[in-house]
Amino acid sequence: MADDDTDAGTLDERTENAALSEALAAEHAAIWGYGVVGAALDPTAQAAAVASEVAHRDVRDQVVTLLAERGTEPVGAEGGYTLPFPVLSPIDAAALAVTLEDGVSAAWVRVLDQSVERSTRELAVGVLTATEGRAVSWRTAAGQSPTTSAFPGLPAT
Amino acid sequence: MTSPSPSSPRGFSRRTLLAASAASLAFLATGCTSSSADEREQVTSEQADELGAQVAVQEAVVSAFVAAGAADPALAAEVADLAAQADEQLTRLRAAAPDSSSSSSAPAGSAPAAPETRAWLRGQVATAAASHATACVDQSGARAALLGSIAAGLAGQDGRLA
Repeated sequence: MADDDTDAGTLDERTENAALSEALAAEHAAIWGYGVVGAALDPTAQAAAVASEVAHRDVRDQVVTLLAERGTEPVGAEGGYTLPFPVLSPIDAAALAVTLEDGVSAAWVRVLDQSVERSTRELAVGVLTATEGRAVSWRTAAGQSPTTSAFPGLPAT
Repeated sequence: MTSPSPSSPRGFSRRTLLAASAASLAFLATGCTSSSADEREQVTSEQADELGAQVAVQEAVVSAFVAAGAADPALAAEVADLAAQADEQLTRLRAAAPDSSSSSSAPAGSAPAAPETRAWLRGQVATAAASHATACVDQSGARAALLGSIAAGLAGQDGRLA
């Protein structure tokens, strides 16, 4: 079996970079989405959206640098994204933030699943932990229950 | 606002992006193995030992919820969902550990009486989250994904207990 036979599940730098590229795409989407979130929140709640967006911008920059150092072209942001549901109220905005954070979590769990470098797993688990921390706050703001997740980023059984 | 829209709403349906690795992740979710997952998920004896140690860490978290509930019944009711999630995490960890029966349970000890119970429980949860996160880095594939996810889940619980 060839080392690059990903159908057989072999992990290598290619699988890791592919997962990082997907995570980068998720970060781009989250950054875009927080613009929508912030616009629909009450002014008193916008600081949380700004902080979340800044956090995702920081991660985006880290991943862009990492991929560029490896000679992999970083995926860019899309021109626009389709909202999963109308965002017409602060509750909708918080629910969108939950969707964004859950999407990012799934992408970073995939990085953990596909990585070969210890340093990449360190990055991934750190991002995943911070992402779930924000998700808990947004689930609370959205009135969702439970506010915590046993397995952030993993598919439901 | 959404023009030009990509063919699929990237970022908003990230779970679908896990489809490619669903076999390995589902393997952890169910505790079952497939031939391809077996091949990729061969675990070294050191990794197996470390995973077994994380089972003990999670057992301590579950014990901590029991102890906290006994010390502060009002807190027990408030965090019943968190305790249930800790149980779910333990079940999946045991299923993923090659020989989880060899892990020794690490009791959390007795919890202090209210109002210190919450802070004590939070400390137990945070310690376990940090332990799983550290262990995750030395694992690979689906085991790393599971430990990382559980670490994040417990960190989220820590935030709610704050």
